[in-house]
Amino acid sequence: MRPLRLVLVLLLTVLTLGLIAASATPAAAQSTLETIKNRGKIIVGVKTDFPPFGSVDASGKNIGFDVDMSYELTRRLLGSPSKVEFVSVTSGNRIPFLQSGKIDIIVATVTVTDERRKVVEFSEPYFLSGELILVPKASPINDLKDLAGKKVAIIQGTITDADIAELVPQANRVKYGKVTEAVLALKAGHVDAYVHDDILMLKLGKENPDLRVTGKTIYPRPYGIAVRKGDTEFIGWVNTQLTNMRNDGTYDRIWKAHVGEFGAFLVKP
Amino acid sequence: MPYLTEGAVLTVAISAAAMAAGLILGLALALATQVHARPLRWAVAAYVEIFRNTPLLIQIFFIYFAMPNLIGLRLPPFMSGLTALALYTAAYNTEIFRAGLEAVPFGQREAARASGLGPWQEMRFVVVPQAVRISFPALGNNLVSLVKNSSLVSVIGMVELMFVANDISFNNFRSFEVYGAAAVYYIALILLLSRALAWTERRLAV
Repeated sequence: MRPLRLVLVLLLTVLTLGLIAASATPAAAQSTLETIKNRGKIIVGVKTDFPPFGSVDASGKNIGFDVDMSYELTRRLLGSPSKVEFVSVTSGNRIPFLQSGKIDIIVATVTVTDERRKVVEFSEPYFLSGELILVPKASPINDLKDLAGKKVAIIQGTITDADIAELVPQANRVKYGKVTEAVLALKAGHVDAYVHDDILMLKLGKENPDLRVTGKTIYPRPYGIAVRKGDTEFIGWVNTQLTNMRNDGTYDRIWKAHVGEFGAFLVKP
Repeated sequence: MPYLTEGAVLTVAISAAAMAAGLILGLALALATQVHARPLRWAVAAYVEIFRNTPLLIQIFFIYFAMPNLIGLRLPPFMSGLTALALYTAAYNTEIFRAGLEAVPFGQREAARASGLGPWQEMRFVVVPQAVRISFPALGNNLVSLVKNSSLVSVIGMVELMFVANDISFNNFRSFEVYGAAAVYYIALILLLSRALAWTERRLAV
């Protein structure tokens, strides 16, 4: 192939990609709430690797704090909790999934940050989570400063990535896509520690006798439910439901069922 | 953009290393099938079937996550990815080379023997050069696949092109631009590879 042809092929590729982009701009004329009602089904992005907020039980059913919150929202919008479709998301792909219209709403442990506020609409906070360290039982690591020069597992797309870069710049961050992969890497000895949201670390520490949770909780920040940027009608509805759920005891019931056992170790809102 | 380039460099590095290892291993195993020793053939056949019939992703996970606990072998992401890619691509190369070796007309071997060459020389100077020529187009396809398959190594934390694209888009949420740029990198790399292959093929032609 001649150099000229090479350049031409590359140019054509870029052009094609551009055309796809132009044609793929979402036609968001109809309100999301209307779309969901007409469809008779809400599509919710939840995690499947993040107990006790979003995981999958032995029979393949979605379970967790976020899952129960989604069932409640569905019941209050469509009359029955069964009119929900769960889509498995990760910290990395949940916002792209929302932006591209694959899901209507994210209920997947999204920490509210200013960066994310620029691209999605957040509800009022529904949980407060800091970060803790998960290490093998016999590890000498007991604090953030011990992570200097160590390999630390991080999940791509999480706020923890920037936090560790800021707080322990000497730590060697090794990034994985899913929680399960980070835990496997920790157990296989590829990394010395894994840092992520406190509630997840507490749950994993309890489920895995060969691991333990350590460190002081850093940066407590709220979780929010997220919808597409500019969809104030939908997020307003979500906020009303959150208030109702707090007032009628639903929120307390969900909280006790999923994180009650860790209550003493969690940051109170 | 410099971060993407950094990723592209590692994509090239791991692909090139896996290519070299995969070609050598593939040829060696294909030659082993030509030896009249049943156990050896069975062993090669078993290897090919195992690595060709399981997803590359499982092989990568197995080497990276399972080997440390299984036999205490803890390879870093690059080496784990390289091992998986090389073994996977070598399984295909073995079949391609084997087909190439078997496509060399038997008369060529007889002629080699008649002109006094030993079995080693017969392979080295008569059969293998022709087999490589016959296999070349199929090998080229496999090498192109290899470059694209190297993106799977991103799942074990190796900072190659796909990993970097994920890393950037997960933080700035501009998935279209970032994956588009990564795609352009892959196309550029593979076009270069195709040119190199076409050039080599012309040189190999008798």
